[in-house]
Amino acid sequence: MVQPTYDSPPAVNGSLHSKGDTRRRHFRHLLSNTFARYYFLFSILALCLVLALVIVFIGKTAMLLLGQISLADFFLSFNWTPEEDKFGAAAFIINTISLTALTLLISVPVSVGMAILTAEIVPPWLKRFIRPILDLLVGIPSIVYGYLGLTVLLPLLRRASGESLGDGLLAAALVLALMVLPTIARISDDAITAVPGKYRDAAYALGSTRLQVILRVVLPAAGRGILAAVILGMTRAIGETMAVVMVIGNTPQLAKTLFTPASVLTSNIVMQISNVEFDSTWNYALHMMAFLLLLISFLLIVVIRFLGRKRREG
Amino acid sequence: MKLFKKITFSALAAVFAVTASFAGGASAAGTLSGKITVNGSTALLPLTLQAAKEFQRMNPKVRIAASGKGSVTGPQAVKKGIADIGACDWDASIDVPGFKAFSGQVANKVAVIPFATIVNKNVGVDNLTTEQLRGIYSGKITNWKEVGGADADIVVITRAFGSGTRVNYQAKALAGGDIVKKEKNYKETGSSGDMKTAVATTPNAIGYIDLVYVSGDVKAVKYNGVAATTENVINGSYKIWAYGYYMTKGQPTGAVKAFIDYVQSKKFQQGSLKKLKFIPISAMK
Repeated sequence: MVQPTYDSPPAVNGSLHSKGDTRRRHFRHLLSNTFARYYFLFSILALCLVLALVIVFIGKTAMLLLGQISLADFFLSFNWTPEEDKFGAAAFIINTISLTALTLLISVPVSVGMAILTAEIVPPWLKRFIRPILDLLVGIPSIVYGYLGLTVLLPLLRRASGESLGDGLLAAALVLALMVLPTIARISDDAITAVPGKYRDAAYALGSTRLQVILRVVLPAAGRGILAAVILGMTRAIGETMAVVMVIGNTPQLAKTLFTPASVLTSNIVMQISNVEFDSTWNYALHMMAFLLLLISFLLIVVIRFLGRKRREG
Repeated sequence: MKLFKKITFSALAAVFAVTASFAGGASAAGTLSGKITVNGSTALLPLTLQAAKEFQRMNPKVRIAASGKGSVTGPQAVKKGIADIGACDWDASIDVPGFKAFSGQVANKVAVIPFATIVNKNVGVDNLTTEQLRGIYSGKITNWKEVGGADADIVVITRAFGSGTRVNYQAKALAGGDIVKKEKNYKETGSSGDMKTAVATTPNAIGYIDLVYVSGDVKAVKYNGVAATTENVINGSYKIWAYGYYMTKGQPTGAVKAFIDYVQSKKFQQGSLKKLKFIPISAMK
């Protein structure tokens, strides 16, 4: 029968501390360290495997599209009418890009402004108040934002614009801007706080005003960090689905105005994927759109890593 | 220590013996056993869940797992062998517009689902004819004054292509008419719940939904002068309804057959099914 050595507290009767005890404790540490190392290694490998499976599965199904329609049709045609075998995704791709751009146009000035305010201007007690609130905003499920957009924002937009529907890029961009705002603000905040104090001191010593210090010294020094924050916000805006579906109108057409009911890659996938047959061109086309989204996010993350490395070198 | 182990073992053995005898006693009520998986239409899901609860009480050895995703998922899951029963809002064993027949599958009628045309409460129109609805959904009629309402643009709200509600509404209410795709005042929603919220919150909106979902915050309009009520469906004057089906691979057997028989039984059809505001299949001629 094994003695329950590991659970008993070490003998601490002063000088009675034996050599065997020390050796056993050393062995125990070695064992747990090795175990922990293998456990974490296993976890990471398992995660990589899952990620690889996702990419392979989506990619494999997407590639089945190649035999069915030409890629030029898929990327260049604006005609998405699955029931007539027309699978042109150009409208969705362009809408996705314009929605993301519009979102950033609205949210970047506001969130970077908030970051400057939190990091540079307000007194410490207010910082302790603002930061947790922004952190909480990140945790609100997107469907909640979508529902508020549907029931609160859309009627407001309808009244303000005189449109009869109100759904479209503007509504979606406003909802998304609110969602990415805390992400961009908090990470920019960290980047600005990380700028060494001696830069500011030097600038003040040369007689700069506070605005000059912020605009000419702090922001350029934190520039890469802020850019990384913006790109992180962008990945969130591109991939967001549920909130967008509820306010964008879900009509497969190019958004020519801010109030045209339209559809983006994510919203079109989620609206249709449950209604398609497994072995159909339609299904493959949706998977190709998902694969495209995966590639875009992947590319953006590579860009972030690249920027991060540059900063460390510089 | 050894003594303790012995005691534990004998205690466990005793417990097992008792449990086994109890389970044996209970199974005398129903000799059926097995696992039934149901997938498909969300409209039929409340019915399936209720029936599963009652059926498992009578047959404790049968396990029923039910989930809903969308009508076409039902027959597809049956085809792939993922589910034993595929709930579908249309008869998937024959061709319908947009969807090919699933060969080798048997459609078992389980309920009657009525659908209603709904409008936002600010719309003054109370009655729409087939022709008017076809005009509105095909994009030819774009203003409420053309169908006897106020001077305001019509906002058309519809379900995504492939929804069972849409398939049935298009076939019955629009008599196969087109649903416009690319218009300014046109919007698609993903579920019955979203449809209701969208119509309730958008002035001048028109949409369609399962009758069971209709409540005070939207207005159900008459179809060709007939109100959308279960009575009018039963007496044959209201035409927008469809059977709900349980699709199976070939004729159902064993526990699956017993479950479908239970859902089709008079007890369930006249009891729980009616309470859920579906209409018994026996009510239709």
